[in-house]
Amino acid sequence: MKTKILLLFAAVVLAGCVTARVEEQRSANTGILTEEALVILGRASYNDRETEESFTDCLASALGGGDQPVKLVDQEEFKDSLYPWFEPRTAPASSDELEELFQQPGVAEQIQQSNVRYLAWIDGDTITTDRGGSFSCTISSFGGGCFGMSYWEEDASYEASIWDLENFTTAGAISADANGTSYLAGLIVPVPILARPGNAACKALATQLRSFLKDA
Amino acid sequence: MKNLIVLSLLATLTLTGCTTTVVVEGTVPTPLVRKIPARVGIFYDENFKNFKHSEALEAEGNWEIDLGGQNVTFFRNLMGSLFDSVSELPEPEPSPQLASQLDAVLIPRIEKYGFLTPGLSGLKFFSASIHYRITMVDMSGNELADWTVVGYGKSEGGAFGNDRALGEATMMAIRDGGARIAIGLTDRPEVAKWVARQGEIHNEN
Repeated sequence: MKTKILLLFAAVVLAGCVTARVEEQRSANTGILTEEALVILGRASYNDRETEESFTDCLASALGGGDQPVKLVDQEEFKDSLYPWFEPRTAPASSDELEELFQQPGVAEQIQQSNVRYLAWIDGDTITTDRGGSFSCTISSFGGGCFGMSYWEEDASYEASIWDLENFTTAGAISADANGTSYLAGLIVPVPILARPGNAACKALATQLRSFLKDA
Repeated sequence: MKNLIVLSLLATLTLTGCTTTVVVEGTVPTPLVRKIPARVGIFYDENFKNFKHSEALEAEGNWEIDLGGQNVTFFRNLMGSLFDSVSELPEPEPSPQLASQLDAVLIPRIEKYGFLTPGLSGLKFFSASIHYRITMVDMSGNELADWTVVGYGKSEGGAFGNDRALGEATMMAIRDGGARIAIGLTDRPEVAKWVARQGEIHNEN
């Protein structure tokens, strides 16, 4: 019993506060049959930012599980089967380019074979917007310890653009923003109080994406 | 003698500890592109087949990237998907007997490889670039086309997986270079003209 209380206390104290906001914009009716699949693709560009693989993995894991799992096709498998059309510099930039892409030899057949109905392009990342405080640890022959307090604020901002591969249209877009501040306090032992805005944005986006696809 | 062995062992361990060896691995996808109706010979020089890059970074030690094996495997598969028939040549100029069975010879080369670590770029990623040079000659030895393709790749760095991250970035650069060759080959006017001529010859026969 005591252990349970301690674990609960640790979970409450060690998890920092995160606020998340989700917005949806629908352009067309959707709906997904049980045999139809979704592919989650991280947008990669050659600037200093890129959607983290850990975020698309988190989304895939959240959407593929739960009470109403969505059938997913692995993004690497999808890119390999349609090489060279979904590489960072060759992938279609908008759904207007889908029709032309489907005219390439083997592309339409490959997509039909994999039963992929929707494609969700994930764009965004998590950045540290502020940090401060002072924290240090020392060790000597008499012992050691950590003192001080430091904090860092993170902002996670992601957008999913959903393309319907049957109609060659953009079905809609969902954006998820979350931010939170993490703390590291030194009271002899270091005590981390971590906010995970990336994880919060992932869960919020997954929930909304699932309902977006299932609801007409 | 015993001390000398121990010292040598220690020296070896210390020195190898500063070298990051990068193994380039990845899948070899078959491109979904229209085959060019031509028979080509491909010559891969030794540098292309066994390409290795070594670099000493002041703050991050020595790096050794061995990409030749994966690169040539990728290109063999790529070229096989681009043309009706492909023969690997032991020399850039085929024997008269082999030349009579070919329409052109392609010679891909690696001109330059470069990489950046997060420590150097200040970004979260490892990035790599490969400069390929492709030369295409007809069976009379005339140069049909000669162009450069740059493949880029980047991969997230990890606390304990720097070698893996650079390997992935390099693999992405090979894929990117291959994609640009596959898609852009017939966009080059000189190659497009040659492809059209091959199509006409093919139709005549």
